[in-house]
Amino acid sequence: MTQTLDVHQGVSQLDRAPTMAAATAEISRAGIFAITFGISFMLLYTVFERLNWPFFTYHPAVGKLDFWMQRPRSGEGPPMYWYGWLVLSGMGALGVSTIATLLPRPWLYRTTVFCCLLAALWPALLAAGVFIADQVSFDAEFLRSVWLSGVLAVAGAAAISYFASAQWVQRVWLSWLWIVPIGGLIVLGYSLKSYFLR
Amino acid sequence: MDAITDVFFDYISVRTFWRVLLFMHFATAVALLTATTLQTVAVLMPVRQAAGNFVGRVRATPAASYVIPIVFLYVPNFLIGCWVYIKYRTYVRIPMEQLGHWWTVGTFEFKEHVMTMGVALLPAYWYFWRQPLTEQFATTRKWLVVFLAFSVWYAFLVGHVANDFRGVGA
Repeated sequence: MTQTLDVHQGVSQLDRAPTMAAATAEISRAGIFAITFGISFMLLYTVFERLNWPFFTYHPAVGKLDFWMQRPRSGEGPPMYWYGWLVLSGMGALGVSTIATLLPRPWLYRTTVFCCLLAALWPALLAAGVFIADQVSFDAEFLRSVWLSGVLAVAGAAAISYFASAQWVQRVWLSWLWIVPIGGLIVLGYSLKSYFLR
Repeated sequence: MDAITDVFFDYISVRTFWRVLLFMHFATAVALLTATTLQTVAVLMPVRQAAGNFVGRVRATPAASYVIPIVFLYVPNFLIGCWVYIKYRTYVRIPMEQLGHWWTVGTFEFKEHVMTMGVALLPAYWYFWRQPLTEQFATTRKWLVVFLAFSVWYAFLVGHVANDFRGVGA
């Protein structure tokens, strides 16, 4: 009798136990903000660093601040862009996270998938295009176009995020919290290879 | 930034000011290193009851108890690091490049990115470690703890190497 009761208790607990998807759906607005802030900050930081888009440039030797990106000038020492990337990423992430709290959940999950895939596909397709253009014997200069790879990346990311099942985009949503930093650090680490190959 | 530092320079020398700042960065880093390491041990090797030895007691400490100290150490340490970074860029990195210490420069550049990712994850880290802890997010919490510990350890070791090149006591 006791065993039967225990089994029934176990089953009823299993019934009550929310699944991962249900738990994700119960995340509060503060949680949506915090998670989206993390994902978007890391994504934007990687993109801005690679494009070298700082909000401002700081010249520490002369204590001077310039808007956007400024090349080193004679007699002013080395420029610092890192603060500018941080500020621009922070402002972008704040905006994105605020918008995310206002979106319906299914839209939020699909938009996150779209943005993360776009950030991965665009440079990957561009790199593939440049590689192919270098290898083939005929004129394939059009493959080096940033815009061609951009259009293809938008189309690919849109198709995947549209056709992916609602359960999958919801389940994968939290995974971006580890996929984005690992991916970002691989990209940023690779960009530093010149320091290690001298 | 210069206006802030000028206030201090009325009382202490420029060299002493930067050394004090670098030491504060080091001291908070050590505290942060301890907290993140202990939390990682408590998360990856949890035990229900404290055993007799030190490691057993550490493993039995509730991992959630480290969250507030970690957040309150991580942010100031990051900010002090941002400040000290000015001196690194002008006073340390240039001779590093001139002497061809490219590995040190490269690993320090990567440190910027690692710490940025860590700061970006802090709001999510705080959110997932709020009480009551949801069982479904245990894996997410574990990942966040491991990543923050990695970022702190990496930054500490690389920062230490840079300090040995040109810093306090070098």
